[in-house]
Amino acid sequence: MKLIDCPSIGPRPAAEFVYGGAWRPMPDPDACSDADWAHYVFHRDGAPGVRRELWYHGPSGTWLVAERDTLSDRFLRTTSLADAVAEEGDYA
Amino acid sequence: MPSRLPPQPRERIDRSRSVSFRFEGRDYAGYVGDTVSSALLANGVDVLGRSFKYHRPRGVFSAANHDANALMQAGGELNLRADVTELQSGLDLAAVNTVGGLRRDRGRMVEWLAPMLPVGFYYKTFHKPRALFPMWERLIRNMAGLGRLDTADATQRQPKEHAFCDVLVVGAGPSGLAAALAAAEAGARVTLVDEQPTPGGSLESEFGGDEQAGAIRAGLLERMLAHPGIAFRPGAVAAGYYADHWVPLVTAQGLVKLRARAVIVASGAFEQPAVFRGNDLPGVMLASAAQRLVHQYAVKPCERTVVFAANPSAYRAALDLVRAGVAVAAVADLGDPATRGAPVDAVKALGIEVLAHTAVYEARARDGRLAGVELRRLDAADEPLPEGARRIECDGLLMSVGWAPAAALLYQAGTRMVYAEIPGQLVPAELPAGVFAAGRVNGVFELQDRLADGRAAAAEALAHLGIAVPQASRPGRGSEAHSHAYPIFDHPKGRNFVDLDEDLQLKDLKRAAAEGFDNIELLKRYSTVGMGPSQGKHSNMNAVRVLARLNGRSIDDTGTTTARPFYHPVPVKALAGRRLRPERRTPMHAWHAAHGAEFMAAGHWLRPKFYGPAPQDAAVAAEVRAVREGVGLIDVSTLGKIEAFGRDAGELLDRAYTLRLSNIKQDRTRYALMVDEAGVIVDDGIAARLGEEHFYLTTTTTAAEGVYRTLQRLAAEWRLQVDLVARTGQNAAMNIAGPLTAEVLAPLTDVDLSAEAFPFLGARRGHVAGVPALLMRVGFVGELGYEIHVPAAQASHVWTALMEAGREHGIRPFGVEAQRQLRLEKGHIIVGQDTDGTSTPFDADMGWAVKFDKPFFLGKRSLQVLADKARYRLVGFALPPGYAGPLPKECHLVIDGGEIAGRVTSIGASPSLGRVIGLAMIERRLGEVASLDIRVDGGAMMQAPVVPTPFYDPDNLRQKAPSVAKEAAA
Amino acid sequence: MPLRLLKNAIDPRPDARFFTQPERLKKRYDVVIIGGGGHGLACAYYLAKTHGITDVAVLEQGYIGGGNTGRNTTIVRSNYLTPEGVKFYDQSVRLFQDLSDDFDLNIFYSRRGHFTLAHTDSALRTMRWRAEVNKHYGVDSEVVGREDIAAACPELDLDCGGHLPIQGALYHAPGAVVRHDAVAWGYGRGADRRGVEIHQKTRVTGIRVDGGRVTGVETDRGAVEAGAVVSMVAGSTPRITGMVGITTPIVIHPLQACVTEPLKPWLDTIIVSASLHVYVSQSSRGELVMGASLDPAELHSTRSTLDFTEELTDHMLDLFPFLGQTRLMRQWGGMADMTPDFAPIMGTTPVAGFYLDSGWGTWGFKATPVSGMTMAATVASGRDHELIEPFNLSRFERFALVGERGAASVGH
Repeated sequence: MKLIDCPSIGPRPAAEFVYGGAWRPMPDPDACSDADWAHYVFHRDGAPGVRRELWYHGPSGTWLVAERDTLSDRFLRTTSLADAVAEEGDYA
Repeated sequence: MPSRLPPQPRERIDRSRSVSFRFEGRDYAGYVGDTVSSALLANGVDVLGRSFKYHRPRGVFSAANHDANALMQAGGELNLRADVTELQSGLDLAAVNTVGGLRRDRGRMVEWLAPMLPVGFYYKTFHKPRALFPMWERLIRNMAGLGRLDTADATQRQPKEHAFCDVLVVGAGPSGLAAALAAAEAGARVTLVDEQPTPGGSLESEFGGDEQAGAIRAGLLERMLAHPGIAFRPGAVAAGYYADHWVPLVTAQGLVKLRARAVIVASGAFEQPAVFRGNDLPGVMLASAAQRLVHQYAVKPCERTVVFAANPSAYRAALDLVRAGVAVAAVADLGDPATRGAPVDAVKALGIEVLAHTAVYEARARDGRLAGVELRRLDAADEPLPEGARRIECDGLLMSVGWAPAAALLYQAGTRMVYAEIPGQLVPAELPAGVFAAGRVNGVFELQDRLADGRAAAAEALAHLGIAVPQASRPGRGSEAHSHAYPIFDHPKGRNFVDLDEDLQLKDLKRAAAEGFDNIELLKRYSTVGMGPSQGKHSNMNAVRVLARLNGRSIDDTGTTTARPFYHPVPVKALAGRRLRPERRTPMHAWHAAHGAEFMAAGHWLRPKFYGPAPQDAAVAAEVRAVREGVGLIDVSTLGKIEAFGRDAGELLDRAYTLRLSNIKQDRTRYALMVDEAGVIVDDGIAARLGEEHFYLTTTTTAAEGVYRTLQRLAAEWRLQVDLVARTGQNAAMNIAGPLTAEVLAPLTDVDLSAEAFPFLGARRGHVAGVPALLMRVGFVGELGYEIHVPAAQASHVWTALMEAGREHGIRPFGVEAQRQLRLEKGHIIVGQDTDGTSTPFDADMGWAVKFDKPFFLGKRSLQVLADKARYRLVGFALPPGYAGPLPKECHLVIDGGEIAGRVTSIGASPSLGRVIGLAMIERRLGEVASLDIRVDGGAMMQAPVVPTPFYDPDNLRQKAPSVAKEAAA
Repeated sequence: MPLRLLKNAIDPRPDARFFTQPERLKKRYDVVIIGGGGHGLACAYYLAKTHGITDVAVLEQGYIGGGNTGRNTTIVRSNYLTPEGVKFYDQSVRLFQDLSDDFDLNIFYSRRGHFTLAHTDSALRTMRWRAEVNKHYGVDSEVVGREDIAAACPELDLDCGGHLPIQGALYHAPGAVVRHDAVAWGYGRGADRRGVEIHQKTRVTGIRVDGGRVTGVETDRGAVEAGAVVSMVAGSTPRITGMVGITTPIVIHPLQACVTEPLKPWLDTIIVSASLHVYVSQSSRGELVMGASLDPAELHSTRSTLDFTEELTDHMLDLFPFLGQTRLMRQWGGMADMTPDFAPIMGTTPVAGFYLDSGWGTWGFKATPVSGMTMAATVASGRDHELIEPFNLSRFERFALVGERGAASVGH
């Protein structure tokens, strides 16, 4: 089983984590068209590559943002969601 | 004929302990330490199985479970590998896949039909006429399977063990032993595994008769066994390699899940057969098999043998066999014996004829076993010449013409392998981080070189772990090929098997390629080469060589098939492990059980469905009546419970839920509906304000964890100052409801229950039965009712106190079914029953719960799009009192104009109303209809009049002004 | 004894090649199909056979049928939840039933009966929903009780060892297993004989679009012009759609499967349990072919995991407690192209002449014939075939999703 580095408590087996899908910027709901919003809700960049994803570590209750290569399944970096948001500036 | 030898220096058998067993209905005896195969050979039994397709007699071939010749069944234990199954007293064995027993197998008639059954014949036959195919399929299925399952078998699951180490070394042969010692001596924690019951690897078999090797072996074993840093696990199969150095070890006791920080694969090589006519006859075997039998089991595999050679180990085998008293009639070497080194001279010195550039062209049978061979010289193109063919009588033929790396783990780890002329096999070219190869799997053959290769691999592994050691250089792969490039010989009469498991002859592969399956993967799929129980260990390499030659391509261009787990097949009992089924019970579970509750699953929870012993319908009706007319109590501890604290708690709830929740007044509650980003309903519950910066939330049972996660995520993404605490397990909850509720509850609580002090939808904190409690006045079942949340540890006390206090008022516990019925009478939905994975609030007629005037909430933008696109709506229907026609069931369809127009989502006989009522989700295109046409069981149609909801107490007077209900009840 | 067997004995020569090997790519084709799996070969077959369009190249980066066509668990059924799904898959089953005759190649179409077990009240409700929709469209499905399940599969432990006992099942009599490879080979051979060129080991590296219209493809063997380009590549869909600059909801998740060693026949039916996340049938070779649900996270890989086999065998013992001594022989993985509504994405796209056949998730193999047939008709006419209109990519923009998600908790 793969190990994922939990920002709170270090490497833990993947079974302790819940996958939260791609972490993507949301368009301004009040400014975008219906079609643009639909693309945001449903469409994904599904090509292989390094993606930013949300993962949740259940036992420690930690949301994290992982940079993962969806071709090799390598986790390049994990950051707590709070820290990732701080790095990004205001998210929503 | 094979027989038992006098004691051998390294034999594993314990001659003081005899073991009796049965095979094919006859009694035999062997020794402790024997395998089934060695014991049978020692008894002169040389036919151990029948082949898969043609039912040809088969004997010991690899003696190492690299073929499926000797698959047996012992009671419920099926497809036993006789080669590696330790003999046990009382085993009653039979060969698998025979018709009427091994000796008289009637299945052998298939071989007479062989010309009709070329590779892929079944794709071209049996489909016309169509009606007969099931008959043919049944025949094929009966012919094809191997072992016979015992459906009464009660074998227990095996527990699993977790283990950890710095360096895992797979294979305890010379290179693995050297690697393990070098790593351990540098301070690493080492686990060393080998599938054999004893360490030593090839030192026990191919080098078993070599004195110098014996000394090396003794030294290595002594140091290894004494080293405290090495955990040696014999009899453990490293069954696969998974991400992050996760390797399952399969042992007789069960699965060991091992996490390593680095892995050294020193798993050696599989000896590969030559392909010639009759190469599957009992008596023909790999030279390493014969050496195993002699050294480990003191079994003489034959009386007189020919050795088929293409490398130095063939000559060592010849010497070993001579020492064991076997007459070696000749060595036929595919190449030049002068290049094979010292053992050749020793063989010649014994007067054994050594024939250069000579092949075994054919093995001949008598009574279904080897009786002699025909040798032919090879021309310059390595083609056998018919002139001067020689026949030699023999009952044994040992093949030592090449090896294939046991590289399954390397492949699974992602290693790129390339073909190297020296040593004539695939070798690792690019290894993933933390994975290393040593010894023959790395193409290193000379004994001293293998030791050095192991040490070098250890140094690399240590460097990977950050342990500073001087790096040792790899010894290189020598200068000789140890495998012949094409030990494969055509014969007009065939029976030259490439794959013994699948009974595939050379012509089968040629035919498959000629029919267009000339890609290695297609060849495998069409011919099934390598797909048998030994998964190609003895056949894949030769198949690649055949295809490469047919296509005129190199081995690398031809490629190999993907090496999937498992290395050896793994018993289900080991993989499955112990049976752990999480089951959550509320604090009142024991009380429910003692009071006749029938439980049902709700996620991992168990909830009382209803309380017996009355049958369900009667019990549920009585429970409903109790709530409507008196008082009832239900355990709702399974609800999700979340507390939110902090400056932005209200802001978070506004953004997470569709209704505005930040303006709930102190000590009040409000319905809380959650949708996802696409606007689909995912949960509902109650939100209570307990302070300016303090809310208490409930969720549905199954969504508890998901809602908690969502709230946490949103809080972090929006950088809101909120602390969220999951209370689901800490708090238990119960709902007391009915017109007599106050009479039961008031004496037990310090909370003022008067309507003025505690209005509908209010929330109060106080005590119940002396226990700190949160009370919320809710109306889910449509009566005066309080949801009481208390610490789980004291919940049972509160429950019992309420039941005691309620006795004089006729209190009844009620279960999930009664609650479903009660809420249906009120027209309240259950998320997931009256909605599905596509329903929006508009589909559920809950537009009132969507507040578009909030700046943002999860799913708002989607709901704005969907507001006027809703396809469905929920309507109520009620059958006339006394209706006696066919009753709809949940998910029966509503039909309009011959088309599906919706479905019944809930239905039940309402005890309160004396009629059957239900909810249906129907398409809005139907408009305002007076009745629904519902298709019931058997296809009959019935009409159900549409009525407004709530069905019961439409003005909600009972829950709001309980005096109304009490008057009605009085 | 079939005469064909006698012919084998009389004339031992190999049959003609199933697939010829065209030396080089032509400069132009009317239609280029990307992907030589079952869908791509079926589309080529029906283009040639039904529509007389034979100037077609199928470009396959690996080998014929080497993707999900050769990796699935071979189950064919039509017991879906939505009218769109039921009608589509019913047509597929009808086509499947005739394929052996069409191809003169035995695809081992073996009708076994298909039980989807319900372990809870709510699962049983969903089963009834599916059964009612199926019956409405003439598809043979019904909700059956424990006794019926026991009669068809007496080996099954209906009590599941005491945890989540089976309450009933959706029984779908037409449920069948098929030799998956043979389906691809039959379509490939049929297309090849009608003039279609099948190019294996030919990887598409780019797609040329001019003025909103597709004009050709670039490959690792050179560029070709094309009147129409059809993407039928399952797990590689996001790579291909990226080449024409369109996005889709498709994300790739691994789907794993495994087989036991061959056993003498004992299991005739196909058994599926959504609660236990397993499904199993016994192949004509005697192997138990087993699968489970999708891997949870996106990944473009066919790697195997140990947890998959651990969980699968654990749950399988609940259903068949006597399997403890049976050995699991091999596990493998495929790449499933998942959509948010568990329905495919098919037909025309915003790029003229570029057609999509994708979103096959865990239900692609059973759609092979009907996908080929409807996509061929769509390419031939330039308009979505009526059976696939609901599956057009534009449905997401319109928030007009297909409702299949209501039922599919375990994919297969």
